[in-house]
Amino acid sequence: MEEIDYKCMHCGNEYRGSFDKLIPIERTCPKCNSNSIRRAKKKPRKP
Amino acid sequence: MMDVGRHSKINLLTYSEIENIGGYIGNFQVTVRKKARYVDEKECNACAECEKVCPVVAADEFQEGFSLRKAIYMPFPQAVPSVYILDDKDCLGHNPIACGKCAEVCEKNCIDFDMKDEIITLNVGAIITATGMDVYDPTEMNEYGYTQYENVVTSMEFERLISAGGPTEGHFIRPTDRETPKRIAFIQCVGSRSNSPIGNPYCSNICCMNTIKDSLLLMDHYPGIEITVFYIDIRAFGKGFEDLYQRSKQAGVRYIRGLPGEIFENSKTKNLSMLVEDTVANTVTDFEFDMVVLSVGVIPRRDSDTIQRLLTLSTTTDGFFMESHPKLKPVDAPTGGVFLAGCAESPKDVKDSVTQASAAAARAQILLNAGKISVQAITSQVLTDLCTGCQVCVKVCPFHAITGGDAKLKIPVEIVEAACQGCGTCAAECNFDALLMRHFEDKQIISQIDAITSENPSEKVVVFACNWCSYGGADLAGLSRMQYPTSQRVIKTMCSGRVDSKFVLHAFEKGAPILLVSGCHYADCHYIDANRWTVKRVDKLWDKLERLGIRPERLQLEWISAAEGQKWANTMKDLEKMRAQVTQEEIEYTMKVLKEDREKSEARKKKKAEMKESVKEIPIDVIA
Repeated sequence: MEEIDYKCMHCGNEYRGSFDKLIPIERTCPKCNSNSIRRAKKKPRKP
Repeated sequence: MMDVGRHSKINLLTYSEIENIGGYIGNFQVTVRKKARYVDEKECNACAECEKVCPVVAADEFQEGFSLRKAIYMPFPQAVPSVYILDDKDCLGHNPIACGKCAEVCEKNCIDFDMKDEIITLNVGAIITATGMDVYDPTEMNEYGYTQYENVVTSMEFERLISAGGPTEGHFIRPTDRETPKRIAFIQCVGSRSNSPIGNPYCSNICCMNTIKDSLLLMDHYPGIEITVFYIDIRAFGKGFEDLYQRSKQAGVRYIRGLPGEIFENSKTKNLSMLVEDTVANTVTDFEFDMVVLSVGVIPRRDSDTIQRLLTLSTTTDGFFMESHPKLKPVDAPTGGVFLAGCAESPKDVKDSVTQASAAAARAQILLNAGKISVQAITSQVLTDLCTGCQVCVKVCPFHAITGGDAKLKIPVEIVEAACQGCGTCAAECNFDALLMRHFEDKQIISQIDAITSENPSEKVVVFACNWCSYGGADLAGLSRMQYPTSQRVIKTMCSGRVDSKFVLHAFEKGAPILLVSGCHYADCHYIDANRWTVKRVDKLWDKLERLGIRPERLQLEWISAAEGQKWANTMKDLEKMRAQVTQEEIEYTMKVLKEDREKSEARKKKKAEMKESVKEIPIDVIA
């Protein structure tokens, strides 16, 4: 299971968490408990 | 089991595995591999002559490795059918034949070394999943010394040691010196109710009563034996269980609330010592025992993922199969025509397993006797003119209710209405609007968005709520008179998986400042795993909004269960705060950008369609 960066779209908290493509788990912000968690992108795509 | 084996209407397939399951409720096609047992089932009368001459010995799995069996053996004394089986991994004479002693002594010529696996196809109307459970392996828990110290055994191994049919014929002895132990400790919750990564967080339900039963059995057979039970809580709920607990206390079993930190072995006596804090008496005591029994918990079957995949079942976070509804459909699986019984669904004792199995059998009987089923009107419909046969919908359907489709041959997909449960994920994922979700059509939902945003859209929060959980959460918040802002406008869908990207973009284009997509928690999704597609879609939408220069934070995602009225109310308060921060300029920019993006996309689609049309218009003879 690899560790990746997540960003909470509710409170803006950025954290590292586990990620497994085969075993999807419910993403929850450790700070505000929101489920609006986005996988942080290394390089944002150009418009 | 004997009755089952003899029943004229029950076809019992032992030593067999399910290879594939196709079809749907009322019309399942099950492919079974009946493995070669190398002994003729019909002829073998279990005379045991073959076993006597077999020169190979292996650990007996049924006796937990405490005794040996031969390569040709009876799996356990009460096995049905009462027929021998030849383990081809251990047998010397299978391929090439080097031994063959069993075949020589078998008077009925039952041994067939050339027997092959048989593939059987069954057509059945209903399936009951009763795949049972496995036992937690405490090897990784170094503190209890299991596998390091011989006198530390699991409750399963203990069962074999005290069983009349066990390796010692019921004479209870400890493994190191073959003497009956005088002081025995039972340690409860081994691998259960643990936050450790090597344990399980849930209560295994049966271990407390199993220990109480074992302690009474020992007290009865060996008067004077000292038994100590170390526990967190004794959970003796159920008819007569508390009485049994009190009886064991009266019989002299000592119960100490506290678990040992570590077990040490005396290398000479092989006795086991441990330091335990009694949290009731508030004392720390050093104990010594002759034998320790680890009361291990139960876990889902290690190979349950195969049957889960074949039957499109979902599991709860602890890995057991999830029922369709915990209160109203406790034995129904989410897939129509599939029922659950026993520990496949959750850890339970014999009585509960029999109760559930009876209910599952009755549910299956109702279905089969009716001979027909009523399906809900909320199902998908394929618009064959628009379908390109790309099969995206086939991939996303949690119930495998969409079949066929070929993009190259332009063959549209087909919906199996009996299997479709109406989540709408297919309609949301279709790029060609070729799937129509009855009662939750695109135009119906778009009309709701238009109605919400027709007046003062900047003052409203558009909320998509799934029928089963989030909408229930909103209901509970209302019924409980919880106070929250009135700016939210709810659009109900059967599942959050139905929320199409275009609904979200349309709402923003119409001036919605904040939008929420809400659904069931992961483990509670009523459509197996349809809400996983919601997450993927929202992830893509966040990317798109950011690409267009729109703050992605304006789209929120929350899992709210029907019991989480408070979470609903709190979420609405948070959304209202976020809504107040969205400026009119931001909304206007969003509307402009999304309108341009949509027009561009429509122009592209139109051009593509025109190109297709022009290709069609060229007569064949001109090309020739």
